[in-house]
Amino acid sequence: MATTTITKTEKLVGKRIRRREDPRLITGTATYVDDIKMPGMLYAAILRSPHAAAKIRSIDVSKAAALKGVTAVFTGKDTEQAGAVPCGASLPGLRVPHHHLLAIDRVYLVGHPVAVVVATDRYIARDGADLIEVDYEPETAVADPEKALEPGAHAVHPQWPDNVAFTFHQEGGDTEKAFKEADVIVKQRIVSQRLVPNPMETRGVVADWRAAERSMNLYSSTQVPHLVRSLVAQILGMDENRFRVVAPEVGGGFGAKLQIYAEEILLAYISKKLQKPVKWIESRRENFLCTIHGRGHVDYYELAAKRDGTITGIKLKIIQDLGAYFTLLTPAIPTLSVLMMPGLYRTPNISADIVGAFTNCTPTDAYRGAGRPEATHGIERMVDMVAAELKMDPAEIRLKNFVRNEEFPFPTATGLVYDSGDYSAPLKKAMEMASYDALRKEQVEARKQGKFMGIGLCAYGEICAFGPSPATPAGGWESATVKIEPSGKVTVLTGVSPHGQGEETTFAQIAGDELGVDIDDILVSHGDTSLVQYGIGTFGSRSTAVGGTALYFALQDLKAKIKKFGAMLLESEDVTFSDGKCVCNKTGKSCSVKEVAAAAYRAMKLPPNTEPGLVATHFWEPPNFTFPFGAHLVVTEVDRDTGGVSIRRYVAVDDCGNILNPLIVDGQVHGGVAQGIGQALWEQAVYDDSGQLVTGEFMDYTMPRAHMMPWIESGHTITPTPVNPLGVKGVGEAGTIGASPAVVNSVVDALSPLGVRHLDMPLTPEKLWKLIASKDQAGSNA
Amino acid sequence: MKISGSYFLPLPPEEAYKKLQDPDVLAGAMPGCESLEKIGDDEYRMKMKMALASLSGNFDGKVRITEQTPPESFKLMVEGSGKVGFMKGEGVLKFTPKDAGTEVSYEGDVQVGGTIAAVGQRLIDGTAKMMIKRFFEKVAA
Repeated sequence: MATTTITKTEKLVGKRIRRREDPRLITGTATYVDDIKMPGMLYAAILRSPHAAAKIRSIDVSKAAALKGVTAVFTGKDTEQAGAVPCGASLPGLRVPHHHLLAIDRVYLVGHPVAVVVATDRYIARDGADLIEVDYEPETAVADPEKALEPGAHAVHPQWPDNVAFTFHQEGGDTEKAFKEADVIVKQRIVSQRLVPNPMETRGVVADWRAAERSMNLYSSTQVPHLVRSLVAQILGMDENRFRVVAPEVGGGFGAKLQIYAEEILLAYISKKLQKPVKWIESRRENFLCTIHGRGHVDYYELAAKRDGTITGIKLKIIQDLGAYFTLLTPAIPTLSVLMMPGLYRTPNISADIVGAFTNCTPTDAYRGAGRPEATHGIERMVDMVAAELKMDPAEIRLKNFVRNEEFPFPTATGLVYDSGDYSAPLKKAMEMASYDALRKEQVEARKQGKFMGIGLCAYGEICAFGPSPATPAGGWESATVKIEPSGKVTVLTGVSPHGQGEETTFAQIAGDELGVDIDDILVSHGDTSLVQYGIGTFGSRSTAVGGTALYFALQDLKAKIKKFGAMLLESEDVTFSDGKCVCNKTGKSCSVKEVAAAAYRAMKLPPNTEPGLVATHFWEPPNFTFPFGAHLVVTEVDRDTGGVSIRRYVAVDDCGNILNPLIVDGQVHGGVAQGIGQALWEQAVYDDSGQLVTGEFMDYTMPRAHMMPWIESGHTITPTPVNPLGVKGVGEAGTIGASPAVVNSVVDALSPLGVRHLDMPLTPEKLWKLIASKDQAGSNA
Repeated sequence: MKISGSYFLPLPPEEAYKKLQDPDVLAGAMPGCESLEKIGDDEYRMKMKMALASLSGNFDGKVRITEQTPPESFKLMVEGSGKVGFMKGEGVLKFTPKDAGTEVSYEGDVQVGGTIAAVGQRLIDGTAKMMIKRFFEKVAA
């Protein structure tokens, strides 16, 4: 793919600049948590429950403790007073189970941590864990959220026999009236299956208590280093200012590392107890069981519409599989689905209910899209079903119901205010790129030949740039510091914590343009709480829209100061700063940023009311979310003999506002689409009735791989947001949100000649082959 | 997971019934069985080594025989746990005279948990069948 070489005076923003972080990543020279080695370092291994529900009668650690090389063994009794895993979400009437660091007298899920063995190397630690004898009294478990809600189901937490963690209701408009007056009502149960987030780097923690300094140094593969610092310090009763958290290179997160995990708290506790640095690295099998899962929805939808295709009302009941415990945001995720349930449509009447169900499974939480892929999948499937019912083209019904351009800012029935948009533009563009009308004609011919060819559309919207602080549990602002060093080199410290999103490049582009300095003279630093002022972190497509905006404002403050020094040096009041130079408008004399920096630090003389140095910090609070949107169009063919789906065309048109770096935007869309196709066709976390995760490794859990991906034809429309001065909306989750409904709509369209109206994900060859075989059978019997 | 099947033993039902409760025969026939030690009436402590997919591990467990109605049927319960997880199984064995011998049919349930379930589930069906087949072959030998 073409990239751009930049000449000095050219603007950086908008260019396809290659990611500056990539050379260290692709040469294997980056430093991840597991690359950190310290003298005297110990290694921890965790013994985990093989049962989904059991009482613990006894734990005998004597053999483990006696093993040569084992330094210490901790069980729940040792750590009970140390604290619990926090949940940051709150809802009225929410039942919050106490999430012990290690099990005390019961285990609630397979993988539940029971004991920690610390040893001089990781293999001894693992061997030690195997020597611990735990006497379990197994109980029946419940792994299915709908079964969990049935009377008489096993109580995940004995104190709450109905397994209901919370119920939530929201409505807007007059849904009953809309349904009474509807010409057509379409109902469907839609499942968004449980997924296992699989970052390339599993989790890992190094805790290093330095007694002489009374300071904790915690290295963790996290998306939110400052939140980890504040919360873990608070939980363990340590001083926050003596608690440093570093997120070194982080090999992907997707929300799975937007957490405070038991291991982070445990390792800090153990390091202080043993006065030694301690490391724990999650194995891939542990990652499948012990890192959060995503999705896990069973949705009951009803859509009311008029004969002309106008959608007048939506009813939705979500049954959210919460798992056994809450992690940081567990109960909040389905509320995002409710906010997003109208999609891009004008529908004024909505009614939504959520039932949060406990199950003996891994907690669900934010996974790329977090609540919004589920909502988009639901509404986009339902709209297709209404179109089929009314014999309308799926594009036509969408175009008819989109929020209109003159209606922005548009208040939704769910209480949001959509910022800006031209919702029909990406759909029309995608249809044009794919030659939609020609495809429909081709489909008619293909069907005559007995081929299953499908064309699927999805018009998606997102809530991004989390977010205004009142709507975000830990605050939704972001911060930036810009320092011009005495030599003229520029250091940017951002409160976001990029781990693949490319902000070391895009933020340098913003700073380079504003200061007129070479991109190679700019360093973007992040992820170290002792270096960065404070920050919220990277999630919810917020880094550039919120963190980039904080940077933009810090740069404006700094530019004002540069101008003051420039005026002093040029001995003129009439000075302009542009392209890295202060220029006197009268004499044409100029001085560079470098000269200004030298003068500002040397401070032989200072402008009036001005401090020495060139540093500016800005904390920015966004006034609203941003709402990116787009349309995906997918052409599939289903093989009659194997049930296999092949994606012939994948067209993705995204509108994420202004684009700072098209190469990075494309990369984000590609990665997101891969994850969305993964959910649509292959991925699912399967538990058996006894609560055993039976898809616990890559042999059983189908992760999308490069060779399984179609060529993605990317297009863009650009509708800047008025929410921030950069006009950027966010694109980290867009691909994932758009992909799954587009693919499923396409496959359902392909199989519609068999009378298929809906299919639940994943659309595996086995599922489709059985379906085709049963229809063929029925056909030949008729 | 449900398992069922049958195997022909060239012995009259009384002898087949007895043979399938003889600790020495069981210890010799159970694949991977390293020891079988009587700890009570119709109850044995067992050590066995089991391999499944990429995993192999030692299991400590118990074998119990209940619901005896000689020479027609009895119930066999096996449970064990080890580093790679646990397994639990129970089944009813029925003895029916056939030709000059006995048809032993079995029907039961097998449950596994822990790592062995997470990484080996897809192979359990085949592995269980293979182990049962080997068991009867050794009993018959």
